[in-house]
Amino acid sequence: MELNINGKSYTIADGPARPLLWVLRDELGLTGTKFGCGAGYCGSCTVHVEGEAKRSCITPVTEAAGKTIRTIEGLAEAGADGSLTLHPVQQAFLEMQVPQCSWCMSGQMMTAAALLESTPSPSDEQIVAAMSQNYCRCGCYVRIKAAVAQAARQMARAEEGAA
Amino acid sequence: MSEKRKWRMTRRGFLIGVGATGTTLALGVAFGLPYGRIRLADMFENSAGAPASMDAPPNAWFEISADNQVKLFIPKVEMGQGVHTALAQLAAEELEIDWAQLSVVQATTALGPFDSRGTSASNSVSSLWVPLREAAATMREMLRTEAAKLLNLPAAQLQLESGVFSNDNARLTYGEVVSRVSSWTVPEAKPPLKDPSTFRYIGQPVPRVDLPDKIVGKAIYGYDMRLPGMLYGAVARPPTLGATLRRVAAGEAASKPGVVTVVAEPDFAGVVAESRQAAYQGVFAMSLEWNETQRWQQADIERLITVGEGTGVTIQRLGDAPDQLRIIGTLRAEYRTPMAAHAHLEAQAALADVQPDGVKIWASTQFPDMVRGEVATLLKRDKATIEVIPTYLGGGFGRKSGVEPALEAARLSAAAGKPVHVGWSRTEDFLHGYLRPPTHHVLRGNVNADGRMWAFEHQQASGHVAAEFLPGFLMAIFGADFGAWRGAMIPYAATHLQTVAWRNELPLRTGWWRGLGLLANVFALESFVDELAHAAKADPLQFRLNNLPDDEKGQRLRTVLTRAAELASWNTAVPAGRARGIACCVDAGTAVAHVAEVGVEGGNIRVHKVTAVVEPGLVVNPDGATAQTQGNIVMGLSSTLLEKITVKDGQIEQGNFNQYPLLTLAETPDIHVELISRGSQPFGMGEPPMGPIAAAVANAVFALTGQRLRELPLRLTT
Ligand code: FES
Ligand code: FES
Repeated sequence: MELNINGKSYTIADGPARPLLWVLRDELGLTGTKFGCGAGYCGSCTVHVEGEAKRSCITPVTEAAGKTIRTIEGLAEAGADGSLTLHPVQQAFLEMQVPQCSWCMSGQMMTAAALLESTPSPSDEQIVAAMSQNYCRCGCYVRIKAAVAQAARQMARAEEGAA
Repeated sequence: MSEKRKWRMTRRGFLIGVGATGTTLALGVAFGLPYGRIRLADMFENSAGAPASMDAPPNAWFEISADNQVKLFIPKVEMGQGVHTALAQLAAEELEIDWAQLSVVQATTALGPFDSRGTSASNSVSSLWVPLREAAATMREMLRTEAAKLLNLPAAQLQLESGVFSNDNARLTYGEVVSRVSSWTVPEAKPPLKDPSTFRYIGQPVPRVDLPDKIVGKAIYGYDMRLPGMLYGAVARPPTLGATLRRVAAGEAASKPGVVTVVAEPDFAGVVAESRQAAYQGVFAMSLEWNETQRWQQADIERLITVGEGTGVTIQRLGDAPDQLRIIGTLRAEYRTPMAAHAHLEAQAALADVQPDGVKIWASTQFPDMVRGEVATLLKRDKATIEVIPTYLGGGFGRKSGVEPALEAARLSAAAGKPVHVGWSRTEDFLHGYLRPPTHHVLRGNVNADGRMWAFEHQQASGHVAAEFLPGFLMAIFGADFGAWRGAMIPYAATHLQTVAWRNELPLRTGWWRGLGLLANVFALESFVDELAHAAKADPLQFRLNNLPDDEKGQRLRTVLTRAAELASWNTAVPAGRARGIACCVDAGTAVAHVAEVGVEGGNIRVHKVTAVVEPGLVVNPDGATAQTQGNIVMGLSSTLLEKITVKDGQIEQGNFNQYPLLTLAETPDIHVELISRGSQPFGMGEPPMGPIAAAVANAVFALTGQRLRELPLRLTT
């Protein structure tokens, strides 16, 4: 089976039916995507499949095969020299010192990035609605909300600058 | 790090090691010297320190290399509380170096300072405040002495900035000093510590050192640990509370695809396999019989945890409260809090590699040294051959003071001869860990004609907290469980006071949970103080201010209460349909007051706003302290409004988040935090701000609806 992850192609064993999450983590060593509940409740395992936020713990790997998958490891842009340009969401999460333990944060940032992709200028209500799907036990919610709003503004500015 | 180092112990307990080639200087301070507070160290520690001869300095805090970089080995684990950053601030301050010169390295049980105390109880920064700065200052002064000798100048003529000594025409970096000096003397006198008015890092919102890796998904946690050739383990779990294995046989497990090793021992059944899925399927195929006990029900648990059941110990007494509580007009109320899960989002996990010549364990643990000790006992190995390497923790909250996944991984790795990772499922974590104990509180009090508390009694009952982890003889000495009564003592100046702590055995494990008994005790106490205030027809803020003692603790509480009330506009009208409640506590040396502003939406309590004022002594990192306050309030609100573990037919009923929802962003109020920095000693920040949140909300609910809710989670009756 072929998986296209962060612009790279990976071949994995056909094997038994299994969730994408454990293929990423245990078979491919992409441990940036986290396991929280295994049942679709917490959002820690969120990745992008064809640009959409998906919970990889309940996404069968066969469903993702042949599609474009993006994980936290591929959210920043890697330059030819290996340097990383953070995604505006990562930039905002870092600037506002959002994460505490950070176990939920890959999922939070992937959820936020997908939101801003589909809704570039979200209202407060839209941010709250999208980000309330993900748990953060450390309680970073106040900062998550502020950082997503900041990332949206940042992306809008970049868009204006480019136009 | 391969050169041999020489050691010398001085009277002050410093250890020093110098590279034979003279390229690095490493210095440590024996851990645990000026620690105050409860001496948990003695309880968890069997032998002192690492072996005296090792290649690397076993107790070194610092290592300075020729390129003028400083490594700081930190024995405390990073679980999101920002401890690596806060301790780095202390070190950089006294070392007089630039932030970029410093890198933080997680110490292990074999490398870096030895720490028998683990990371808990909000005491990492407060307990290391003096020893770590003294170690750094000692290193700085040793470097200064040697630099002066090398430059042939009086030490007093050298300026020091960014790890560089200089005067008008000479310049020498720490790195250069270290590479040119081969024999060092540790001064016997204590080094001078910096005047707080010259602090560069302490008191600043220094960004977290661990976030750059975390933001890009590179940081490694226990669940993420990988080694070449590693396998996965799963372990059989009892079907009901208290069940033990009666008969264990491999059954069909060995023939299941992917299964490598089946371990069937009288007290343990587990499988090692090529994938997690295969390991679980292997365990499922084993043939197991269990001895089951009584099918426990929720009512049994609540009956056991009731004031008057089990052992009661008086922990606070002034005057004769029982007698004075017979006065007419005495108020009496009962409160209850339920069991709760930690629900750290990274489930328990460890990777063990057990080889004939040594054992390595990578674990998400708050107590690396306890893991080492227990693995040594389990495998009958010498502790010195075992290294426990703590990873980042995806939340701890007291739950990662347990050792189970490390022991399971060690046992399975020993059987398989390969590295084995054990990562619990969410359901295993809910059903087979330990919980926050349930509590029951009976409060009685009366107030005299001029609004002063006269007699006040708090009787509280709880399942075990510390008792779960300490040897029986120690509990016999303590009497009451000091974990359970955290926050239970009455901080007000009543003429007659009494606090009694009851503890009882439960058929399931309860233990450390962020703040231990704090949230439950302050909920009961501060709600009841509100009841007394209303009964006395007094304003709840004014009533508290009038009844706090005039000592330092009382004054600190007055300060945070007054400021929180001011920020929350306590004395002005609330927006329609809302009300405010106030509550306070002192915990781990830190004074906290919260004002909650609540409403009711669709029959549910809606917390709109929380104003928090926290005075933790000296604030080391204001942004970190603010984050801890925000996080504590959110976690505390989740308990206040949602969380409850229950038992039915011998099982815990909640196996995943659909049955145990956590607070989300949608229910999170606006949180306004103000910190007050005071004095020259920092106190705890990891737990204290949780204390008053449930009471502040319940008091606001009373003000709004007239309903006095005496049980968590708070539920309005319609
Ligand atoms: S791990 Fe996928 S939603 Fe929780
Ligand atoms: S940062 Fe710890 S769970 Fe979100």
